[in-house]
Amino acid sequence: MERHHFLLRRLHSLTGIVPIGLFLVMHLTTNSTILWGAFNTRIDGEGFDRRVGTFQKEVEFINELPLLLLIEITLWGAIAFHSVLGVYYATSGKGNTGAYRYQSNLRYSLQRWTGYLGFLFIVYHIATLRWGWSFLVPGGTEWSHHFAASTLAAALRGGDEGFTALGVAVSLFYFLGVTALVFHFANGLWTAAITWGLTVTVTAQKRWGYACTAIGAGLMVAGWASVVGFAALDPAEARQVEMSLHGEVPTDGGEAEARSMDVSSRGGDTIEHSGGQH
Amino acid sequence: MAAEASTGMNERVIRVRLKRQDGPDARPRWESFDVPVGTGSNVTSVLQWICAHPVTVEGKNTTPPVYDSGCLEEVCGSCTMVVNGRVRQACSALIDHYCPKDGDELTLEPMTKFPVVRDLSVDRSRLFSNLERMRAWVPVDGTYDLGAGPEETPEAQQTRYVLSTCMSCGCCLEACPQYTLETDEEAWDRAFVGAAVISQARYFNMHETGSSLKKVRLTELSGPGGVSDCGNAQNCVNVCPKEIPLTESIAAIGRQVTAHNIRQFFSGD
Repeated sequence: MERHHFLLRRLHSLTGIVPIGLFLVMHLTTNSTILWGAFNTRIDGEGFDRRVGTFQKEVEFINELPLLLLIEITLWGAIAFHSVLGVYYATSGKGNTGAYRYQSNLRYSLQRWTGYLGFLFIVYHIATLRWGWSFLVPGGTEWSHHFAASTLAAALRGGDEGFTALGVAVSLFYFLGVTALVFHFANGLWTAAITWGLTVTVTAQKRWGYACTAIGAGLMVAGWASVVGFAALDPAEARQVEMSLHGEVPTDGGEAEARSMDVSSRGGDTIEHSGGQH
Repeated sequence: MAAEASTGMNERVIRVRLKRQDGPDARPRWESFDVPVGTGSNVTSVLQWICAHPVTVEGKNTTPPVYDSGCLEEVCGSCTMVVNGRVRQACSALIDHYCPKDGDELTLEPMTKFPVVRDLSVDRSRLFSNLERMRAWVPVDGTYDLGAGPEETPEAQQTRYVLSTCMSCGCCLEACPQYTLETDEEAWDRAFVGAAVISQARYFNMHETGSSLKKVRLTELSGPGGVSDCGNAQNCVNVCPKEIPLTESIAAIGRQVTAHNIRQFFSGD
């Protein structure tokens, strides 16, 4: 540990940017399609919600990536490395924002607290939605990449029908987790530039600070859009769209999908209605 | 007697709460004193008055409090202590600023990142030990005359002059969340050196003769307790009484250490 002090410190800094930070950018960009997907005119939007459709296509694209498991394991490894070392480093200091109320000092403490919160969130997020620990999901929803938006919405809301109390708690946890991680990344980008010696003068540090604020603000919008977009999504309606994408929607109420149709008859109507318009 | 150090204007009495400790291992306790002050009084003159009148507000006779002071003009750094919760020099801490009204309260504590010797006096040996560890000097000792010193550009001189004003007072270390009390001398070589020492390494690395020790310094700064232990809270630059650009020094050393380690990785020495 002491022999490789410098290497470990710099790897800790590096892994926060690549691959973790880079992944965060791509992940939030993809997930926010649940809102801006409405403007996606390049998807065949006839008869369904373009948001759900765009997100489903994105998820399918990711699932078709070669060596996906290798990418995932690299990410999990990097997150574990960054977190374990991060906690070790963070516990070596002692915050003093009470006596020294400088903005940079508040960010120092926030960087540590958002790290802890963000790590808990990531573990919950991956465990429930990727590793299938559905016993931790209120309502027991298991995420499926075939029904990406609907199962995610159900996991956030605590079930298929409206918000449950626990569902509100999960959605809130997602909101806080995403907020913490975006802050952690943007502030980490700023401090990394000092650590590596890129921004030496106060002027340079200020300039890079504005850039990091802009990056953080943009990512924050994407992150909040994702959480709000999925929490506000009706799982049953989304499922209809996904089934129609898979070519599974029965034209006149087939038996297999009868239950889903019942749950969301309104969604089914919308499909038929807008389908008729075109 | 010391009360006469004030001009006699705006005479008032303030309540001074003092954190006292009889020795390095003694338990700290609080004592309060009512002190007459006037325009121009500072924390050091208040302490002088208390030493001359060591009676607490309860009327109890006590020992005169121990404190350090030297230059009385904020250039020696010896009177550094925690005034109303924030670290600074006692001599330049004006009572008119802290206690403008009669009965206002002033709290004095020793620095928390160094072991207390007694009352407000602390032992800052770790700081000096770390300056030694960082070879914070220009090596000129030898068996022959090295001749005239190197020429220096006005630009470099401008940068280096500010760095040279560091008085090793320890404010930057007291305010740093990454710098924590370490009483075990054996651990000083692995504990964080702090902004003052990093800035001195930069100062001597910029000197043409001093830079002959640059590699040694950068290797030391790459290891445990080196520049990577900085958490970028940037309190150091905010509390530095000499307004030394400490965060620029940290970033500059960060850059030197990055280059040094990349070079070392490929050259292998």
